[in-house]
Amino acid sequence: MSEPGRRVGADGGRENRFWAGLALPGVVWLCVFFLLPFYVILCVALGSLDPILLTPAPEWNPLQWNTAAFEFVLDNLFTPGAAFETVFVRTFFYVLIATTLSLLIAYPVAYYVARYGGRWKGLLLVGLIAPFFISYLMRMLAWINLLQDDGWVNSVLIWVGILDAPRNWLDGRASSVILGLVYGYVPFMILPLYAFLDRIDRSLLEAARDLGASPFQAFRLVTLPLSTPAILAGVVIIALPMFGDYYTPDLLSGAPQTSLIGNQINLYIRGGQQVPVGAALVVVLMVFLTVLMGYYLFATARAQRRLGG
Amino acid sequence: MTLHPRESRYGRREFIGRSAAGIVGLSSLSTFLAACGGSDNGGSAAELQIASPGNPVTQPLFDDNPMIASGLEPESGTLRIYNWNGYLDPKIKKGFAKEYGVKVEETFFTTTDEAVQKISSGAVDYDVFFPTQDRVGRLVLGKRLQPLNLEYIPNLKNVWPSLQDPWYDKGSQYTVPYMTWTTGIGYRTDKIEKTPLDYANPYEIYWDEANRGKMFLLDDGRDAPAHMLLKNGITNINTEDPEDIALWEKELKSLYDMNVKVSTDDYTNIPEGKAWVHQMWSGSAIGAQWYLPEGVGTDALGFWFPADGVGTIGSDMMAVPKDAQNPVLAHHFLDYLLDVKNGYSNFANYVGYQPPLTKLDPDTLVADGVVPKNLKTAIVRESDFDKGLPLTELTPDGQVNWQNAWAEFRAGV
Repeated sequence: MSEPGRRVGADGGRENRFWAGLALPGVVWLCVFFLLPFYVILCVALGSLDPILLTPAPEWNPLQWNTAAFEFVLDNLFTPGAAFETVFVRTFFYVLIATTLSLLIAYPVAYYVARYGGRWKGLLLVGLIAPFFISYLMRMLAWINLLQDDGWVNSVLIWVGILDAPRNWLDGRASSVILGLVYGYVPFMILPLYAFLDRIDRSLLEAARDLGASPFQAFRLVTLPLSTPAILAGVVIIALPMFGDYYTPDLLSGAPQTSLIGNQINLYIRGGQQVPVGAALVVVLMVFLTVLMGYYLFATARAQRRLGG
Repeated sequence: MTLHPRESRYGRREFIGRSAAGIVGLSSLSTFLAACGGSDNGGSAAELQIASPGNPVTQPLFDDNPMIASGLEPESGTLRIYNWNGYLDPKIKKGFAKEYGVKVEETFFTTTDEAVQKISSGAVDYDVFFPTQDRVGRLVLGKRLQPLNLEYIPNLKNVWPSLQDPWYDKGSQYTVPYMTWTTGIGYRTDKIEKTPLDYANPYEIYWDEANRGKMFLLDDGRDAPAHMLLKNGITNINTEDPEDIALWEKELKSLYDMNVKVSTDDYTNIPEGKAWVHQMWSGSAIGAQWYLPEGVGTDALGFWFPADGVGTIGSDMMAVPKDAQNPVLAHHFLDYLLDVKNGYSNFANYVGYQPPLTKLDPDTLVADGVVPKNLKTAIVRESDFDKGLPLTELTPDGQVNWQNAWAEFRAGV
């Protein structure tokens, strides 16, 4: 990205400012729509309540911040068996399983389209992008229709002979929620994987084969390492929203035993006089995700270095 | 805060006396004293009283929050309504718009708290708002509602006499009633063996193994616990006793084995067959008939509410926010909805929740086919309010304890 600056001599300073100026809309956007709202959330979490209406009264002055909500959240988060600890651990494992499954589904699909799509590539790509046109909520509602007692899933399974009687898939199963998450987010994983796999130079694979690698070895030693950044990007893209998801468990289960951290945030933000607790929970979740994000940046940088990029 | 002369009879002494009697917890008292302490006239300011049928409250009036004068012409601006989704027939809006030659705009909220937050931020200026009875006291004290000039609302006479002068707002100074409801148990007569009526203690149907995975409670941190308390014969469903809270939490958690689910879509979960037994609001039971799939008759629906009337009951109301841009028009709208014909049409054609209008006779509702015979139990009668148990406002500390216990249950711990 530093090319333009490097190319010119005496004129460089002005050109640099020009290119920096191009970043201005993005910077303003980030400040107005991310940093500012985040500060508001922080001030709500560290604020108090309106004494009469009991609505949150954000505390703008950091010197006056009240950490009671954070203490409550952290205490609850680190006490085994407490509400936040239970949901947090549950959320972590649901996301872990759902992300792994998504990767197992998305990688072969992306690989196939990128390598063997041939003249169907365009059509296959349209097929991959099509789910983006339907809102997540609509897809979940469709999923409910498929899974209900007299839905198609039961009909097909009974017809094939796997089930004898309709199974109540929506009676609060963890599996329904996890599969719902996979179903909802997998398209978001396929696309970055495809974009990356499609760009891999085939001559590298040919070289590997020429040097005696079996197709599998070529995949393991060349394709897979080359696609590590794409895998990480895909994981980040779907894991982050999954951590905040609360409507998937609401729609596909509704059982308290499958509720996620997003449901607890929703519960505290939506009503009552503990909105600061909900806001503190948001901040704690964000810090956790920032750590994950930091690892992603670190890992991609390392992968780039290793590839000599 | 200046006190209206009519309100001075509730001095601080009496307030402390009442709170000592257990109506208001001491901690909340200190909160409000602290809240009011900042004003220049200190202790003589109005203080929040937690209203309940046993402690009816006349809401305070304030000099700087006057009601509109009588005899004004309605404004010609757009009437802006702030309401729950699905709680007002679009035809009513159209009818009002036509009659007054104005535009009517409706915005929705999902929880009263969310609405109170928005209204109190001052960023929005709605003309009509639909609060619940447990919020009226604070909204009045925070000067977010304006006193109603009842001269514009002659139709208030159509309302059940007891709700013309309700315990949460004696003399209807700030609110007029909109809808009434009870919380009972909805069920599918074609799916379950034992209905609540087959139990000595009907609330035990929630633990019926036959309905595992098909049983729902309302996703409401007040309503669901209330049924757990009632199951145990505790009729003080506003209890703040830690033992009672621990009891309802334990009862709720014992339902994990039943694969209990929570939802507020009771009006679709039952007719669509997702639920066979569902803690249910009476208005949802009546509305459920419109969501039945083809081939399923209304006799598949059942609704249980205690025959002795000792069950959860409530009413929602209409009010005009202080910053309303079209207060006169808003008053006319309130009156329009209390008109028997409009109230009936809003109820029977769209909402399913029942306005407390004297002329809406329960037997006629069944005879007219508005309410199926087997859902007669979902009709609210004025006499139900004699014994019914309203969910009143909790003290701030009590609310926190209730919410944390509810959050524990919702976490599936």
